[in-house]
Amino acid sequence: MAPARLTLVDWMREATLSVARHPGRAVMTAIGTVLGAVTFVATLGISSTVSQQVSSSFDVRRATEVLVSTQNNIDTTWRDEESLNRVRGLNGVVSAGIRLNIGEQPIARALGSAARPFTVFGVDPDALSTIEPRIVLGRGFDAFHESKAVNVVLLAEPVAQSLGIARIGTAVFIRDRAFTVAGIFDDVARRTDTLNAVLMPASTAETLLTSYYVGGDGDFAREVLIRTVPGAAQLIGAQAALALRPEAPQDLNVIAPPDPRLLRREIEGNVTQSTLLLSVVALAVGAVTIANAAAASVTTRVAEIGLRRALGARPTHIFAQLVGETTALGAIGGAIGVLIGVAVVAVVCIANRWTPILDVRVALGAVAASAATGLLAGLWPAARATKIQPVAALQR
Amino acid sequence: MLELTGISRTYHEGHPVHALRPTDLRIGANDYVTITGPSGSGKSTLLNILGLLDTPSTGSYRINGIEMTGLRESMRGSARGQLFGFVFQAFHLLPGRTAIENVELGMLYGPRPTRERRQRAEHTLARVGLAHRAHADPRTLSGGERQRVAIARAVASGPRVLFCDEPTGNLDSANTTTVLDLLRELHADGIALVVVTHEADVAAQGRRQLRVADGVVSEV
Repeated sequence: MAPARLTLVDWMREATLSVARHPGRAVMTAIGTVLGAVTFVATLGISSTVSQQVSSSFDVRRATEVLVSTQNNIDTTWRDEESLNRVRGLNGVVSAGIRLNIGEQPIARALGSAARPFTVFGVDPDALSTIEPRIVLGRGFDAFHESKAVNVVLLAEPVAQSLGIARIGTAVFIRDRAFTVAGIFDDVARRTDTLNAVLMPASTAETLLTSYYVGGDGDFAREVLIRTVPGAAQLIGAQAALALRPEAPQDLNVIAPPDPRLLRREIEGNVTQSTLLLSVVALAVGAVTIANAAAASVTTRVAEIGLRRALGARPTHIFAQLVGETTALGAIGGAIGVLIGVAVVAVVCIANRWTPILDVRVALGAVAASAATGLLAGLWPAARATKIQPVAALQR
Repeated sequence: MLELTGISRTYHEGHPVHALRPTDLRIGANDYVTITGPSGSGKSTLLNILGLLDTPSTGSYRINGIEMTGLRESMRGSARGQLFGFVFQAFHLLPGRTAIENVELGMLYGPRPTRERRQRAEHTLARVGLAHRAHADPRTLSGGERQRVAIARAVASGPRVLFCDEPTGNLDSANTTTVLDLLRELHADGIALVVVTHEADVAAQGRRQLRVADGVVSEV
């Protein structure tokens, strides 16, 4: 005689039939798994969308500059030619030069007329190429001008407009000294603090300093400006101080842009931790409610269980049936939660005009975790159900 | 084919309750046995033991010569599922499913594949005259119709013995007649019937009548 059996297909059919019998009550019971799945999918979806937004709005050009400066009163060897050559030798460095910020200087259109203050930077040819100004009129200055300390300037467009300068070759006066306007620029690739400033050769700026001020080098900010290949800025940033001042790299300040990938991972990492915590809490709540409902249903369905035993079901089948029902409940709750979570992400993205980023594995994981929750929740009520004897169950 | 020898059943709840005193009984392959007696007399106990729903405290129970006492629960369950069908006073149909799904339930734990179960269920529902109500929810059926669905569930797998515990207890006289007619037809087809009842007219249907009083079984 064949032993009583319950096939896999029958098992799944029985589980879903029982859940489908009371759909409203089923959803309420599984609300914890629904919420767990919503939390999981929605927060992970929004965080991956946001981090994608972060990296796409991240300016690739800005990610190729490194700035080294110091606030300590140290000797100047860290920015001499030898040190710069060490930096230039680093793998991934395109150029390295000096920029000195000599602060706001009064600039006049003509001798004697009213002067307006504008920030003036002295840049050597390497630093100028790093800044990479977009010249709309005229040209920049080069190694010749640097070697001869020529009195020549590059004006940012707002400065030119403010001074009423529209042609190159005209002169401007800084503290009664004449400078020829060699060119006008309207944008820069790096160091946006020069967008409203005046650029001149570094050697020229030095003579301006020595002519008019007693101060010493420490009074004016001198920086090493480094341009790197894309992707190398973080690495160079880590190495620059050591290359410039090997005996005491801690004396220098290095500013390098954050790695967008690091930023993304950081965003996602923070979110993932709290997401997991929230989801686990919601799933735990779901486990409790499902277990309670299952235990209550066992009490209500004593006659049905007794009947099934009378029809030949073994205690294992009764156990499998109950666990199947709670697992199905959890899985369905998870699926509903995934749908709601996806809808939430869609709404948030539409409202912010973002491109939604959703991972199928997140959705599948949410459903699987919810199903597992249902399974675990059903274990104890199912074990109790197997103790029901057919005789006791079928008494009128 | 069903042979009880020295079978008794005692419950131990505080003080021992002798639900069934040592009994010998033989039921043949095409018998129609009715069992009567006052409530609490032990007639349901006798039915439960015969139907392998309960294990006796003492004695031997052989089915076609094979000893049932001492068997593992899983083996008794298999035997029960394949040899016996059960009909109860309270019908015990599952409400969330159609009539035909309820009938199929009777074969769920057996060896038959899904399609065969559906075919047999349709055939059996037609046999009990309810083919037109195959997809009805039991809650929309009358008491008599429900009991007939329950009978269909019980016989769909082709059992040898049909055990009925007060099958007409919840039915009016018209439905009672219908159900009794159906039982008679099934018996004529070759199945053995063991019916517990407290109604005299139902008891009179049987070819053999047993009476149970205070756990003692006697043949009328």
